Amino acid sequence: MRIRAERDDLADVLARAGRAVGTRSPLPILQGVLCEVSGGKLTVTGTDNEVTVRTFLDVEVTEEGRTVIPAKLTADAVRKLPVGAVSLASGDGYIEITGSGPRFKLREMQIDDFPKIVDVSGGETIVLDGGNLIRALAQVGVAASTDDARPTLTGVLFEANGENLRLIATDSYRLAVKDIPGIATEGARLVPYRALRELGRTVGMGSMTVTLGDREASFVTDQGRLTVRVIDAAFPNVQQLFPDGHSNRLVVAKDAFLEAVDRAALVAEDHIPVRLAMHGGGVELSVIRQEVGEATELLEGDYSGNDMTIAFNTRYLRDGITAVADDHVVIETSDPLKPGLLLGASSDDFRYLLMPVRL
Amino acid sequence: MFWLEQHIDRGGGLGPKERVNRLQVACGAMRIRVAECTVRYEGRLNAYLPQATRLVMVKADGCVAVHADGGAYKPLNWMNAPNTFTEEGTSWIVMNPKGERLTIEFGEIHFETSLEMGEDPGLQKDGVELELQRLLAERPESFGEGMTLIRREYQTPIGPVDLLCRDSAGNTVAIEIKRRGEIDGVEQLTRYLEFLNRDGRLAPVRGIFAAQVIKPQAKTLALDRGIACVEVDYDALRGSESDVMRLF
Repeated sequence: MRIRAERDDLADVLARAGRAVGTRSPLPILQGVLCEVSGGKLTVTGTDNEVTVRTFLDVEVTEEGRTVIPAKLTADAVRKLPVGAVSLASGDGYIEITGSGPRFKLREMQIDDFPKIVDVSGGETIVLDGGNLIRALAQVGVAASTDDARPTLTGVLFEANGENLRLIATDSYRLAVKDIPGIATEGARLVPYRALRELGRTVGMGSMTVTLGDREASFVTDQGRLTVRVIDAAFPNVQQLFPDGHSNRLVVAKDAFLEAVDRAALVAEDHIPVRLAMHGGGVELSVIRQEVGEATELLEGDYSGNDMTIAFNTRYLRDGITAVADDHVVIETSDPLKPGLLLGASSDDFRYLLMPVRL
Repeated sequence: MFWLEQHIDRGGGLGPKERVNRLQVACGAMRIRVAECTVRYEGRLNAYLPQATRLVMVKADGCVAVHADGGAYKPLNWMNAPNTFTEEGTSWIVMNPKGERLTIEFGEIHFETSLEMGEDPGLQKDGVELELQRLLAERPESFGEGMTLIRREYQTPIGPVDLLCRDSAGNTVAIEIKRRGEIDGVEQLTRYLEFLNRDGRLAPVRGIFAAQVIKPQAKTLALDRGIACVEVDYDALRGSESDVMRLF
């Protein structure tokens, strides 16, 4: 294999494919990326056997071929070369990286040990704007669990009903739902959020083709392809968790609310809830931490309903406010011990249901 | 049995020819040496540590560990007991029954001591781990229908295995319980199984590795060694609701 490409382009495809490479993989070969050159194109593949990222680059080809090279070291070496053209040449068990003077000669890895990458088979295909999907995933992803003890909750449910694509995530303390309209397919797959979080940094934001296969889901743009094994488990029936209606409704400016919660969080840390005393004219936020002190702040807003105090985990509340894509945030409540609902004032395509904390 | 020499540092490094105060100590002691050394491992793969200053420990049970000045608890190289330990001139040669061999070639010795540490009282487990053990001991059927408890904290020569049980077919089962299941736990259970299977009254003994969460690498290693993995739900075992309110 012999190619020539611009340093920044080459460093970019190596780094993006390298994001799928596990740093603590038990298999040494998974520390490598597979480089394949054919038809004037370099394809770089990194995988940890669950998530696979393939990136593409048009390059000047002298000789086609395939090799597996250490992911991090190669990406770092290319990145550290002077600006300009970089050459990669493999042979005799080594890959030689040269560019405007410096030269690296790195050992290749055993290509036969690299796992066979299976393309997604079957399932529904959706074409949508990658940027929209990535922003939507960031909104719901905050509610996905990171606890491997409950793998079902570490995923985002993709549920297409013929009209909308609904994205759902929950860690059982909060539930986030986002609807993307105009998707005329049907089907549901549970995709690990750990992989979805990497979409923006691996395959980018252009037009994206999403395939929800029986065993894998793939996300393809002109910059690359991310494939991930779907979670084979039944997602909890969460639709029933949304109450029919709430009797109390508070509307506050998002930025001011977020800043107030941030200030409260200084005293609250993670385990102390923030209390919201809602009344006509707005909401008073307060945090009391026995051994430290307290913080209070009055925030103006529109409130309709009965005066009520409800408390939420500070971080979960902050996540919900941040995820609302609107200038004003609505909090709907009915009882201090029943979940509160956060949404935007001008749109209900994103909803964040949050369980309160018992005072 | 092997004999150890205690070298007492009198300031500065000690060369092999320098005068040292020698005290012979019988096997059963912890031996610690800080010295210039090279280490060669031959076994599942070949590995070589070039000359550098390192801490070498020989534990009373025969485990040997080579440490650098860093890297937390993990040795650069190690051999678990049972081992055959041989001292030949400036070399220590450690071999295990699988044919793995660790050769440590010493240069300048900076410090050496040995100490009989006596019986270790064992790890004081945190609340959750101890509670998990208690709950699972009350419900051995969590590991399979017909499973019955023989003993909690069953003593082996290298420490107690959490639960020793008998399955419905009458076979012995050793169960190691952790809060988070990692590779170290699998290694620990492997060592227990090696000793337990030497006991004709218990053998064959199979292993179960139980934890609230078991890391994928630990699962892979356990299954490769024929050890079953079971993830347990602490809240469900307690049969009580969590204090924190959930949506479902």
